[in-house]
Amino acid sequence: MVEQQRRQLQFSGSGGEYFRIWIVNVCLSIVTLGIYSAWAKVRRNQYFYRHTTLAGAGFDYHGEPKAILKGRIIAFLMFAAYSLVGRFDPLAGFVILALIMLLMPWLLVRSLRFRLHNTSYRGLRFAFHGHSSQAYINFLLWPLLSALTLGLLVPLAQQRIARYTRDNSAYGSAFFKFSAGVWAYYNIYLMTVLLGILIFVALMAVTVLLGSSGLIPVEADQLRAMSLLIAAVGTYLALFLIAYPYVAARLQNLLWNSTSLGAHGFSSYVKGREMVGIMLGNVLLIVLTLGLYKPFADIRLARYRIQHIELLANGSIDEFVAGLQSQASAAGDEMADMFDFDIAL
Amino acid sequence: MRVAAVYYDGRQARPHPVTLCVEGDKLLLQGKDIARRDALATLNIQPPLGNTPRLILFADGGRCEVADRQGFVDMLPRDAGSAVSTMENSWLYALAALLITLGLVAGAYICGLPYAARVAADRVPVYLLAQMDNQFFASFDETLLKPSALPVERRQAIRGRLQHLSLPPGAAKPERIEFRDSPELGANAFALPGGSVIVLDDLVKLADNDEEIIAVLAHEMGHIAAKHALRQMLQASVVGLAMTWYIGDVSNLLAAGPTILLETRYSRDFERQADSFAAELLRANGMPVSQLADMLQKLETAHRPDELIKSAQTASTLDYLSSHPNTEERIKRLRGM
Repeated sequence: MVEQQRRQLQFSGSGGEYFRIWIVNVCLSIVTLGIYSAWAKVRRNQYFYRHTTLAGAGFDYHGEPKAILKGRIIAFLMFAAYSLVGRFDPLAGFVILALIMLLMPWLLVRSLRFRLHNTSYRGLRFAFHGHSSQAYINFLLWPLLSALTLGLLVPLAQQRIARYTRDNSAYGSAFFKFSAGVWAYYNIYLMTVLLGILIFVALMAVTVLLGSSGLIPVEADQLRAMSLLIAAVGTYLALFLIAYPYVAARLQNLLWNSTSLGAHGFSSYVKGREMVGIMLGNVLLIVLTLGLYKPFADIRLARYRIQHIELLANGSIDEFVAGLQSQASAAGDEMADMFDFDIAL
Repeated sequence: MRVAAVYYDGRQARPHPVTLCVEGDKLLLQGKDIARRDALATLNIQPPLGNTPRLILFADGGRCEVADRQGFVDMLPRDAGSAVSTMENSWLYALAALLITLGLVAGAYICGLPYAARVAADRVPVYLLAQMDNQFFASFDETLLKPSALPVERRQAIRGRLQHLSLPPGAAKPERIEFRDSPELGANAFALPGGSVIVLDDLVKLADNDEEIIAVLAHEMGHIAAKHALRQMLQASVVGLAMTWYIGDVSNLLAAGPTILLETRYSRDFERQADSFAAELLRANGMPVSQLADMLQKLETAHRPDELIKSAQTASTLDYLSSHPNTEERIKRLRGM
């Protein structure tokens, strides 16, 4: 058997360098009333992709700005139709939203195809081969069911989506394989829910204690309602600020640790604690600098996330060969961006 | 002169160490087991991007990565950089871009968006606006709004007084005046996009005479005449969208704070305009402008204790504060008119 080699992904982007690229592109996008934003997006992706290297070679992004612009216009029109019509006539707005939802899985497949087809490493393109029919099950049916069950099926839906996207993704002619089961996903969320309950009970106890000892001026009959309110708001805030980075870290690890490509595996070892620190620090600095820290924050997070992924190479990685190429449109990609659909690839 | 590079043929992931050189209008590529010669015109030479390697993309999917950026420029001086990449490389251009961006964003916020909203508001068909008002009543009647407990005669009297007002040119009387009761909202009156005005019972009770109520209604008519409700709605959605786009991926919760702050400026301007309109209307009808100032004072004191006693109703208090900022300042301004 060939000896396994660990190859760490490297990220060499820097905040100062990216700040200049970012601000020039933002300025050009505004001056051209948003038209240049398609070119800016390509530039941004290229910056992050080309600074990401594995075994000495960089990734690259090949998206065509004109295709992206077309996608942006379609996405913008649909979004404008929804938000404007919805204001004047909620029923018509709902119909439009339902139509967009029906279209979404198909668009997401297009989006994945565009994104992966336009990503390359060592001169070979990635590809997405998923069928739309399965997309309707994974991108529409499971999320709908998880909404109907008040979120109980969210981890299941996430596992199905991850499995569908990974199993249908390919590098050259080699397919990715995804092996994580449903319980691994439930495990992550179970920990989060337990954390939430813990915070809630602690906050509740503290306010009741402070209130009954007279440290908070409140009447006895209102104390219970008030401590409930404080505990609820506090838990919401804490989960929002802490659980989000924590879950993001655990999900990244699960996603990559369960992914393989041919004989090769991956390993991700992002730490929830450090992720919380980075994300909270970023939010704080963005607020303090009135938004100017944004490009630095993006670089900082990308570096942390990327440099904690390794390729576990079993044998040479020079042997991958190109697969059949297909054309892909950008409309889905932009649509997904507009409606805040992150499929976490 | 030869420049070291890594070549990928686009069919396999194997890297080929090669050297590049330019001969006339051709690029020569040579490696241990590979050689190619391509016309420069057929190559896709990517502009530089930060300190990433320079890239040459061949028409057949081949690809060359050149880590030696200086050597690349010496070899192909014509491809030293595009206009955009030159700007991206310079702190001076970055600073200029920053200043232009800040200027344009501030300009759009202060002048552009209000102007666009005014133009757009004038083009929204009247029947759509009426529909919005109906929608409002349909969703808030029986929930936030209860039927008015005022005697019918009292309501008729107020409506009657309004009918006899003489209006400045361009202004119109409210499409409909609806009386409602709402313990949650307290003493208040508001104008809807379609020209309906809602008067709450507590406001009528708070007033010492009908003229004070007319003064508040005159203020609301100012909002209607200038389509403030619709414009505020349009402006708020654009500001909200921009904020969500900018920091939404960090935190949706965080995006709400600046959005509310930014919208305050717009509503303050609208309140001022409506006050001026009311002052003119009151004067034209021989009523003292101080009526509105007195009424504002009363509303201010009526809403203050709310804040302290009913902490559970923070939402409505907050709403009142954000849509009627600086009441003291407005009262002072009206007294000076």
